Parts: sequence; structure tokens; C-alpha cells
Amino acid sequence: MTAVESAPILFGPGAFIFIGLYLLSMIGLGLLGRKRRVDDSLADFYLGGRSIGLSVLFLTLYATQYSGNTLFGYTGKAYHIGFEWTVSILFMFSIIVGYLLFAPRLVRLARLRQFITPGDFITFRFGSRFLTLLSTMVMIYALGNYTLAQLKAMGAAVEGLTDGAVPSAYGIVALAIIMVLYETLGGMRSVAWTDVQQGLVLLVGFVILLWIIPDLGGGIEAVVEQLSISDPAKVQVPTLEACGTWLSYILLLGFGAAIYPQAIQRLYAAGSVRAVKRSLSLMAFMPLMTTFIVLLCGVTGAVVLPDLAGSEIDQVLPRLCALVMAQSEFGYWLVVVVFAAALAALMSTADSALLSISSMFTKDIYHAHLRPNCSESELTRVGKLCSWAIVGILVIIAIGTDKTLIRLLELKFEVLIQIVPCFFLGLYWRRLSARVVTIGMIAGLVCALSLSVAGYTKVAGFHAGVVGLALNTMVCCVGLAWETCREQPAADQVHGSLA
Amino acid sequence: MSIDKHELPSSARSPQDWDELFVGLQQEPRKKGWVWLVYLMLFAIAIPWYWPPLYRGSLVAGLPMWVAVTLGAIVLLAAWTAFVITRYWKDLDEDGVQSP
Repeated sequence: MTAVESAPILFGPGAFIFIGLYLLSMIGLGLLGRKRRVDDSLADFYLGGRSIGLSVLFLTLYATQYSGNTLFGYTGKAYHIGFEWTVSILFMFSIIVGYLLFAPRLVRLARLRQFITPGDFITFRFGSRFLTLLSTMVMIYALGNYTLAQLKAMGAAVEGLTDGAVPSAYGIVALAIIMVLYETLGGMRSVAWTDVQQGLVLLVGFVILLWIIPDLGGGIEAVVEQLSISDPAKVQVPTLEACGTWLSYILLLGFGAAIYPQAIQRLYAAGSVRAVKRSLSLMAFMPLMTTFIVLLCGVTGAVVLPDLAGSEIDQVLPRLCALVMAQSEFGYWLVVVVFAAALAALMSTADSALLSISSMFTKDIYHAHLRPNCSESELTRVGKLCSWAIVGILVIIAIGTDKTLIRLLELKFEVLIQIVPCFFLGLYWRRLSARVVTIGMIAGLVCALSLSVAGYTKVAGFHAGVVGLALNTMVCCVGLAWETCREQPAADQVHGSLA
Repeated sequence: MSIDKHELPSSARSPQDWDELFVGLQQEPRKKGWVWLVYLMLFAIAIPWYWPPLYRGSLVAGLPMWVAVTLGAIVLLAAWTAFVITRYWKDLDEDGVQSP
């Protein structure tokens, strides 16, 4: 098996019509979502009236969790480090274990107290406006970066598809407008329904990838044998330090991705606890259907296209697809579907994050701090305007990002994970106070951000965010113990004087 | 339509009030210690720390031995999770009748 030359992907008019119709159908689903709205309440707009059933809930969770990065970034990573990237299957699975640690209580509380945003829980549990505001800002920052990454990937996909004829900026603007249009038309209902369509396309896309890509290298067995000769490190077991990084990934994703606001809001939006339970049970198996296939594509790329370097590495999947397209008419159409799946992965993640940002700004900032007495219909209106404004800002950043800002814009999990004690400990440790959680969160944020900005993205194999979370949790434990000890003598004194 | 202000923070409630919030939650996985022991064991198998350095092993279904073992552990983890959710997450409100 020898390396082959790849040509750029070039789609003909038929493919563009197919993809155009696919994008238009999303706006159609947005209109349908608007028609099905019950009222102008926040619960109806942001949570689809809390009536989402099993199949829609499962597919919206799936499409939201697996993003464009799963397709492009993870294939690139598998290309670069080989089978060590098997960790991606494990860390995507660990997110479901993360849910098991807090979802039963949170889902129950959310249904009892009619929560809309993650901030609603924090306010209910801790009663601190500052803590809710700080947490909301952290979540908006993390989700903003997440959406930004998707927008940039959309631009790159369109530019690559047209071989540079359509610049990435036009792609970003066009796809962002379609996304925000269907999102503001029907809110969560539209987003969830488009997620169903996108989730199905994504699943079909992964099955096609499994079918066509390993064959390019003569089958997975031939790929492994070839790599064993040409680059044995890619098939060998990871070092002990790398195993430490596996553990760090499991903690980072297991805690961090489980509290993604858009995922928490999907738990709130479920029509029943049964739907949540069954969706999470199914989600536990999805890494095997998704990230495993991506891993196989990446290692196949390492054999078929061994000379990619730098930013080209993230283009390994499109380049493999270009090879399939060149083989036959059938292969061409299979790649068109894979490209639709890539757009689905990008848009389904970005629209969910965008809706979540809009809900948090509207409910936890505008309503809580600026207009506490306004009506829900006003809030819903503000939420829609907010979506357009956020997309506008993110598109401008995505098109012209200052290079020095890039590291700060990459930070997502490192900051988001510092919210973890609010949920994972707050739901179980009744005596944990807002003051202690706030100090812990600030300590964790300062630690994680300082390490990241100073270039220490990992310490002894552990991610900066995980190091920050360890400090954060330690502060919570020590603070709780200190406050409990301080309260005890005071309680004894009261009992003594009563006696 | 307006939104009610939130009540007293839960941290300021009595232990009885706090527990009352979760009366309908009959079972939750977090409280079963041995469930987490099984998780610990399966994660310990899934992370390939115990193989000799530079090991690849013979191929199983086309994959290096250590990858196949990790994948097997992930399949068991997924099956275990589905079982734990079904068996140890019991809520009285399972079918969607929401409390006021």
C-alpha cells in the first residue's frame, strides 16, 4: 500500500442543489416550530414547552454533543497520534457517567421548580445573585467560544468545498443567518426538530464513513500492519504519562461536558423522566458509533496520506473523501451525504449553544438585573433579538480574529468545569454555602486561566482546567468543614442558654 | 405573565425541607457505592496503563490487542450504564406528570 495524491473536493451543481435543499428544509422546520408554539412564555420558547419525547430528546442530545470538531478535529488528532486517540471514545462515554452523578436530582428539581436555565438552579440552591451572575458569565464565555469554533469550521468547510471560490467569510455569514433564522422562529422546538434531521444525517454519514474510508487503506487490518512498519508509535500502547492524560480527559469531559448549559436545558425540556433515562442509556453507546469511526478514519489517513503537516492535518477527512469521490459516481454522492453530515454536526451544535446563550442572557442577566418586572413575552422578544446580536458579534470575531486572542478564544472546558461544584456538590451537600462555592470557583478560574495563558496547558499530564477544578473542590471541602466547625459551637451555645 | 421571585435558598432550609424536595426520587445511582466500584474497575481496565511499554500485541478484529481490550471495556461500561440507569434511577414522576 503506498501513499496517494489527493485532489480537492469539488462538488457539481447537483450536489449544491442537494445541500441547498437540505439547508432550506431547516428553515421549513423552523417555520413548523413557530406554528406549533403554544404561547410566548420562556418555557415554550427555550424548552419547547417541556414536552420533548424520547426520540427527539435522544437525537437532539446526540446532534448537540457531537460537533464539527468530532469530525474534523478528532480525525486530525487520530491521524497525528494514532490509536492513542482511542481515549476519545472513553471520554465521550464519560460524559454520560457525569450525568449520573447529578441528573437524577437536577431533573427532579427542575420539574418541581420549573427551571429554564442552569442559573435558575444556582439561584434556587444558593440564593446568591453574584454567584449566579458569575456562573452565567462563565457559561456564556465558554459557549461563545464553542459557537465561534463551529462558525469558523463552517467557513472552512464552505471554502474547502468550493476550492476557494466562495471565501470562508461568506460561508460563515450565510450559514449563521440560516441557523439564527430557524432558531428565532421556533426556539427550542425548531432547534430540536432540526437536530433530529441533523442527527439522522450525522448517523448515516458515520455509517458511510465506516464503509468507505478504511477500504482506502485496504481494510483496518492492513492499515494497522502498515502503520506497525512505517510509524509503530501510532499502534503501540500509550506511555504511563499519556495514561495520566487519558484520566485527565475523562475528568475534564466527564465533568465539563456534562454541565454544558445546552445539555442541561435538554434535561429540563424532556417531557418525562423516563425520556431522559432512556436517552442517556442510548447515548452511552454512541461513542462506539461515532468517535470510534472517526478514530478509524484518522489512522487510515495516516497510511493513505502520510505527508500532511500543520493545519493540513485537520483536513485529513475532506482529503480522504476527495479520494473516494474520484473513484466513482456512487462514491461522489456518498461524499455529498458526508458533507451534509459535517454541516449537520456544525450547525446542530452551534444552534443549541446559541439558544442557550440567549436564554441565559435574557433570564439570568436582563431579567435578573435589568428588568425584573417585565413580562415573559418581552423576555422572549429580547431573547430573539439577543440571538441575532450574539451571532453578529461572533461572526465578526470568526471572520477577523486577532491572532493574539486565539488562546483565550480556545478556552472552553478549562473555565466551564469550574461550575462543577455548584451542581455536583450543591445538589448533595446541603450545608455548602454560596460564599464557599464562589471562593472555590474564583480560585479554580484564576488557577486554570493563569496556567493556560502562561502556556502550561497541562501539568504532569493533567489539563489546566482539571488542576483548577482540584483546587476549586479543595476550597469547597475546606470551606465547608470550616463553616460547619464554626456553626457548631454557636448552635451548642444556643442550646446551652435555652437549657 | 410575570416570573415569581425565587424563595429562600435551599442551603438555608432545614435538612427536612431539603430532603422533602427529593421524596419522589426513590433511588439514585450516586448513593450505591458498589455501582461506582464497578465503574472504577471498568475504567481501570479501559485505560491501558498495565500493558508493557511499546506493546502492540496480536490483532483482534484488525485492531491491536490493547485497543480491542479498551473497546471491550467501553462496551461493558456502556452496558453497565444502561443497566444502572434502568435499575437504580427511580423517580415517582417517571411518566411526565409534572408537579405544580
